[in-house]
Parts: sequence; structure tokens; C-alpha cells
Amino acid sequence: MSEPIVSIDKFRMKFGENVVIDDLSFDVRSGETFAFLGSNGSGKTTTIRTLLGIFEPTVGTLLVKGQKYGPQLSSILGYLPEERGLYKKESVLSTMLYFGELRRMDRLVARKWSLDYLERIGLADKANVAIEKLSGGQQQKIQLGVTIMNDPELMILDEPTKGFDPVNRRLLMDIVEEHSKRGATVVLVTHQMEEVERLCDRVILLKDGKRRLYGTVDEIKHDYGSEVIDLEFTGVLPEHSKRYRVEQSGKRNAELSMVGAATAPEVLAELVSHKSLAITKFELRRSSLDDIFVNIYHETAAIGGGHE
Amino acid sequence: MNNLGTVFNFEFLRTITKKSFWVRTLSIPVLIVAVIALSIFSSKAASKAGEKAEQSHFSIAVIDDSHLVGAAVLTAAGAKAVLDRPHGIEMVKTGAVDAFFYYPARPWDEPVEVYAKDDGLANNSKYEAVATQLLKAGLAQAVGGADKAKLLEVGPTTMLTTYHDGQQTKGFGRAIVPGLFLVLFYAVIVLLGNQMLTSTTEEKENRVIEMILTSVTARTIIVGKILALVTLGLIQILALLLPIVVGYFGFRSQLNIPQIDLNTLSFAPVPILAGAAIFVGGFLLFTALLVAIGSAVPTAKEAGGFFGFTMILVFVPFYALGAIVTSPDQLIVKVMSFFPLTAPITLMLRNAAGNLSALETIVGVSILLVSGVILMALAIRIFRFGSLEYARRLGIREILTRKS
Repeated sequence: MSEPIVSIDKFRMKFGENVVIDDLSFDVRSGETFAFLGSNGSGKTTTIRTLLGIFEPTVGTLLVKGQKYGPQLSSILGYLPEERGLYKKESVLSTMLYFGELRRMDRLVARKWSLDYLERIGLADKANVAIEKLSGGQQQKIQLGVTIMNDPELMILDEPTKGFDPVNRRLLMDIVEEHSKRGATVVLVTHQMEEVERLCDRVILLKDGKRRLYGTVDEIKHDYGSEVIDLEFTGVLPEHSKRYRVEQSGKRNAELSMVGAATAPEVLAELVSHKSLAITKFELRRSSLDDIFVNIYHETAAIGGGHE
Repeated sequence: MNNLGTVFNFEFLRTITKKSFWVRTLSIPVLIVAVIALSIFSSKAASKAGEKAEQSHFSIAVIDDSHLVGAAVLTAAGAKAVLDRPHGIEMVKTGAVDAFFYYPARPWDEPVEVYAKDDGLANNSKYEAVATQLLKAGLAQAVGGADKAKLLEVGPTTMLTTYHDGQQTKGFGRAIVPGLFLVLFYAVIVLLGNQMLTSTTEEKENRVIEMILTSVTARTIIVGKILALVTLGLIQILALLLPIVVGYFGFRSQLNIPQIDLNTLSFAPVPILAGAAIFVGGFLLFTALLVAIGSAVPTAKEAGGFFGFTMILVFVPFYALGAIVTSPDQLIVKVMSFFPLTAPITLMLRNAAGNLSALETIVGVSILLVSGVILMALAIRIFRFGSLEYARRLGIREILTRKS
């Protein structure tokens, strides 16, 4: 198991009397892609800002490579914050050079990298154009370039696809995969569960400032997931049964979960017995991360044990 | 302060390479030159018109009840004497003469009445000019010549020589050099004030601060920005001074600029050092104040609203100039000398006037430096926390109580 590049221990954060984060501990291992999940207001951005030294913790230790983060570590960091933008009046190239130099890049190296990147994304002719003259999508590409130009060892992307068009979303994910394959550690703060399932090794889920889930994607799906039936049908699906519960339903499809010790064959037998219902598809699968996320947020009692 | 050079270069270069900076900077001396040229042209044109009016010839009728003009002057001017005012006025109306002047018995109490043929708005002033000249010529004869009359009219020039501890002092000349710090302070605040106020709002408005703060500290950003602004301000001041210096040394005679005698100026070190210390303290205080305001509000537009208020605070002592210069012991002057926001201008005025004691200088400068440092620390805190508040203003309590 690789060494942690990020270590957070007993982190507590209060703004006034409001406790935003309470007793949060986790680590991110070097080289892994780590998902940081939670609904809006759960404390993700506050944790990231505190980890990066923008806020000071009320209590606890937050370390990057075994030390408190400061500008001296900026050369290893690629940070795409949730609230992001660029100097709109400045040219594309001067903006990129500024951020490169702030991260300790040599000016000539930063210049070469920037021009190569602009070539790659088809904006070579815009190097000396003011950023405000670019389209929103083009500005997003520049933002991405600024984030990765120092070939960061640690990438922290806070809701990276927020506001991105599909083309830039694909570009971003390609870049994340590219850097991940080269050994970079990626912390992905996101609501896009399919991306988490596709890209991430481990996951943490925050709710109300507390850790609710923590582990590999497989462990979480194993421990917190359940079997789900995807059903397609014609006719009328009875909503009440002792063997299943309708989680979601449309006119011709539904998602069912099994109640108690009921098994899939028993549910299928019951459904077939209804003369007003004709089943066209019956598929058994494990619940997705998205299902687990929604369940956690809908539950009233705290979940205990497992990988929490 | 890592990255200070990077921040300075970025802030400096991105301003100085913009056309708008040079248009703004060069437009000031161009405007000054244009205003001076216009003023000289206007003055010369008026002078020529006056001379032309005085030399113009027209027929005159006169009644001199004051007996101050005198027959000799009236004869030399070719004026006809008339017996009564209605007759003189009638002569003008019928065109028998161009003008009729009535000098009352007590011209110091009553106006000299001038009736004349309308010769157009621009030319009518010649009648009053000639009526006045005739009276002045008569008075000059009475006092014994034109020189004595001029002396009576404008008074003599005087030359004051003063001594302190047996040594000759420089008089008004001693106020000039310490007073230059006042001019410099005014120029810096006027030229840079608004830029300082809005310098930190850009990061907030563009949502760029969070990325910046992971690479550089808030203190480094603020210091880098201030250093860049000061450098830009110096360039602007040089651009202002350059035409003056070139004009003085290159075209002094053509422009009729009087020669400056450096011997009349005092370069005593104590007032100069005091002026410099007050300038530094005042600059620190107001820079911190403007940066703090800019960091606390969400947009540059909102920050601009505070600029006028800040300027009033800075320059309010000018409204008490008389008291500051002549009555330094008055309570209001003492209060303004040691209240941080009014202290810089008040202390500089008093330093130039020579009524600021060494103790008052030390206390005043200390107040400025201490309050400047406290306010600067607060400005950095506000920048650090306030810049992440994109839609709301941070309360002062929240700023002070957050851990940093």
C-alpha cells in the first residue's frame, strides 16, 4: 500500500457557532484517484480549502506530503476550485505564464508548455487575445491548462465538470485519466457518480460535516449496496407487496428492491402471477453508487460499522 | 515572501503595457500644457485688446465735477466741456460726440458715468478704459507724477529678512521643501487612490483568488500589488514633472517662466526628515485603508462608492488651513494632528509652516505607523477571507474572530 499524500486527522471546523466539519479523518494514497462526495453544504469545499491552507482548522491536522500545505508546495499541486475564473482583461498567454511562474515553473518552460497546450486544444491563434474575448468553452479549456501546466503530483478538482460543456467535460476526463496513468494522485470532488465508478479507486462520503462512507468503490458497493431489480413491463404494476418495494417507477419501467428475506425468483413469481401485468424485461443488479448516495441522504438514522 | 517578484512583475507589466495607462498618464501633462497655452493666449489677446482700446480715438464730451481730472488732461485728450448731463447724453444720442463722461464730485463714493455710442460688445469696454485712464492721469499730476501714482495704487514691494538665534532664516522659502511632501502625498493619493481601492476586487470579481492563494500568501499579493502601484505612480509623476523640467531648462525665456533662486529655499534636514516620515506613515495608512475597503466589498463598483468618502477624510484639514498654520495650539488642530485619518495632511501643513514640535512629530508619526500597520494587517485578513465571499460583505466581527 502506497504512502498517503494527503492525511486528515480529527479535523473539526467551526464558523462562529456553526460546526461545519466534525471529527473528520481520512487519507488519500499516493497515485490513487479518490472521490470526495457529499451533497451541497456537506463540508467538502471547506475541507479542501483548509487542506490547502486557505482556512485554518478549528481542531485537527491536515497534511500534504507530511507537512502543512503552504505556497512552498504549490509546484506539486494542480487545483481547480469550485469557484473559478481567470483575469479576464489579460491575454491567454500572460495569464498562463503568471500561474506557471507562481507554481515555480521557469518562464521559458511555462511558455513552451502553454504554446504546446494551446496548439493541442486548437487555440494557438488566441495566445495574445484577452481572455474575455474567448467563448465560455474556450475559457474552460484555458482554466484546465492552468490547472495542469506544472504536471502536478496532486490534482484536486472541486466539481470539475460544473458548467463545462460536453466537449470540455470529455477533455477534462481524458486529462484526469492521462495524469492518473502517469502516477498523479487525483482528488475528485463531484456529484457525477458514473465518473466516480469509472475512475476512482476509493471514496469518502460526507453528510452534515461527518464521514458517512469511506473505502474502495467495491467495498462500499458490497457493504452498502443491495440487489436491485430493473423491470420493464406493460399493464399495471401493483405498488404494494410483502416481497418487494417500488423505489422508482415510470409508465413502463420500474426499479424494485427486495424486502426482508425475499429472493429475486420469489419476486419474479409474484409479478408473473398478476394477470394485469406483462413483463418484458427482468434484470437483477447490485445497486449503484448513486443509489447508495441517495439512500444515505434519505436515511434518518446514522449508519454504523463497515467502512465508516 | 516567495513569489513577490512574480506578483510585482505581473501587476506592473499588465498595467504599463496597456494603452489606457499611457493615454491616462500622458493626457495629464498634455492637458496641463494645453490649459497653460490657452491661458497665455487668452491673456495676451486680452492685453492686446486693452492696448488697442486705450489707443483708439473717439470724440469725447466731459463734465468734471470732481476737479480731479484737470483741464490740462482734458485738453490733451481733446475732450469738449459741456454744462449739464442731459446735454452731454443728448450729444451722444444725436451723434455729436462718440462718448460723454460724467465725473461726480466724489468719485470714491459714486460711479463715473459713461454714455457712449454702441460699438459692439467686444469694443464697448474702451469707453470705460479711457474714462478711467483720464482720471488716473489727473490723479498722477496731482501727486506729482505717474510713478508716485502707481506706488499709491499698488503699494511698494517689500523684502523681509528674519533671524533665529542670530542666524538669518529663509522666511517663506523654508516652507517650500517640506511642503513638497504635501504635494507628493496629494499626487500619490489622487493618482493611485482609486487603483488601490479596486486592485483587490479584480481577483474577487473574476473568481481567481482561490487559485492564487494556493500559490502565494495574501500578504505577498497585497505587498506585490502595492509595490507595482507605487512604481506606476512614480512613472506617472515623472510624466507630470518631465514637461515642467524640460519647459524650465529648455524654454524658460520663451515661456516667460521666472527663474527659481535656490538660495531662497531652506534645506534644513529636520523638517525634511519629518516630512518624509509623515509621508511614509500617511501613505501606509491610506493604502491599508483603501485595500481594506476594496477587499471587504464584493465589486469594484461598490468599492468606488467609498472613494469619495475616503478622499474627504484625507483632505478635510485643508478646510482648517488658517487655524492649522496660525493657531497650532487650538484644540481642533491638536485633534486633527493626532487623529489617524486627518493626521497626515495636518502634520505636513504644520511641518511646512514650522509650527510642529519634535515631540509632536514623533507622536504623530508613531500614531500613523502603528495605525497603518494594524490597518494593513486587517486589510490582509479581509483580503484573505473577504475575497472568498463572492456575494456578501464580511462583518468586522467575523473577520476578527476567524482563525488564521
